[in-house]
Amino acid sequence: MLSPYDWQESVSQRAQYIENRLKGGSPIVGLAIEEGTLLYTYRRHVRKIYEIYDRLMFSAIGQQADVEAMRVTAIDFAHQEGFARSESDVTIGRVVGFALSSPLKRAFGDVTTAPFVIHALFAEMADAPKNDLFMTLVYDGDFTAHRNYAVAAGTLDAEKRMAELLKAEYRADMPQAEALKLADKVWRVGADLDANGEPDPELLEGSHPEIGFLDRASNRERRFVLREGR
Amino acid sequence: MLSARMNTAPKSFADLVGFPQSLGPAKPGIADTHGTTVLAVRFEGGILNLGDRRATAGNYIMYDRAEKVLALDDSTLVAISGSFARSVEIARYLKHTFKYYARTQLQELSLSGKLMEVTRALAGNLSMAAEGIGIFVPVVSAYDSSNDSFGIYMYDAMGAKFDGGDFGAAGSGSERVRGVFDYIQREKGAFEKRPLKDVLCDGLTMLDIAAQLDAATGGLEHAPPIAKVLTKDGISDVAPKDLKEAIQTVSKNAGGRK
Repeated sequence: MLSPYDWQESVSQRAQYIENRLKGGSPIVGLAIEEGTLLYTYRRHVRKIYEIYDRLMFSAIGQQADVEAMRVTAIDFAHQEGFARSESDVTIGRVVGFALSSPLKRAFGDVTTAPFVIHALFAEMADAPKNDLFMTLVYDGDFTAHRNYAVAAGTLDAEKRMAELLKAEYRADMPQAEALKLADKVWRVGADLDANGEPDPELLEGSHPEIGFLDRASNRERRFVLREGR
Repeated sequence: MLSARMNTAPKSFADLVGFPQSLGPAKPGIADTHGTTVLAVRFEGGILNLGDRRATAGNYIMYDRAEKVLALDDSTLVAISGSFARSVEIARYLKHTFKYYARTQLQELSLSGKLMEVTRALAGNLSMAAEGIGIFVPVVSAYDSSNDSFGIYMYDAMGAKFDGGDFGAAGSGSERVRGVFDYIQREKGAFEKRPLKDVLCDGLTMLDIAAQLDAATGGLEHAPPIAKVLTKDGISDVAPKDLKEAIQTVSKNAGGRK
């Protein structure tokens, strides 16, 4: 039988294992501007930014199988809600807080199963940038809400440096081109793992920017646009 | 819930939400609200959809502002006639099915996949329809980006699909104007080569004639018809000003028969 000490020990080992695996992940930057809501990252062969629902999108650092499981769970929950009630009843808070957080916490605490290696960033577009909502969700089920901008990176230190830069340079009224430039700058700061002023070469090697954009002014049924940079 | 899936076959949206693919027989004697005439016509650069605004329940005019043309996604429009309750619900179901597929599978459902979903929804409605309730017939207008083409598809109440070519119509007033469409096409040339402005006037004329010959179809004067346009760039309403002008032209031309 496990003693309370064993449980604590194994949980902290699990956390350490997960954090080690997340360390080398490509950071993600989220920005709310007048034109819409942006997620920005760099990727290699596999897509990293996904549409969840009419006004929701998501990206994550972690193991691909875990990212995929979270993506499908979020999409299922959002579409069940949207059909059973209405499109406007689907909110990021409920997707993250109700559908995803508890099962993550359960999987993390259950030492007999593999934990989820994931650090996710969700974005919800509203009527104005000040009302857009970002939520970060980590492997143990903990989630945090952010306004205006949000980041997800492999280490806490990288996230701190990214947030500092955003705090200094973010403006809600910045045009999209300028917002993309800022997002790239912030990504580079987050990808600078050993804080030597340069992005980690392993993260840059063979990768290119990926941009998920929810278009605020669009009259189209589908407001999500995925773009790839060079 | 978050457990990794071993099964990668696309899950059906109907299973996800428990949407009944087939409904049991209905109790006869319930009069459901019906939408009446809708039509879809090609023009140069897309497809125009028109619908009168009348919704009837038996002899009773239930509503004169009905919306009978609905966007299913940015390249698919559906114009509905018949049971309002069933058709609106099924349009909502189809809309969710298409976007659920696109988001989970990371690719758009193909046009034939979308048309098959419409067939399945109609077939599922059959036992109710056989009892005389919940019958509806859609006209689907679609742009297929895979081969850069437009198509108009008509259905019967059992789900059989017919490629309509340049024209499709459904509802109680629709048979009345099919010959009118042929006549216009012979006189003025293929609809797909004519500008929207002209086709709009012809479409409204057909709707006006349907209203003259069918008591369940609303005319042009009481409330302007629904007019939506599908192009390669998506779906939009005909500008109210353009619609108003076209209605005035059509009404003026109709003056001669009085």
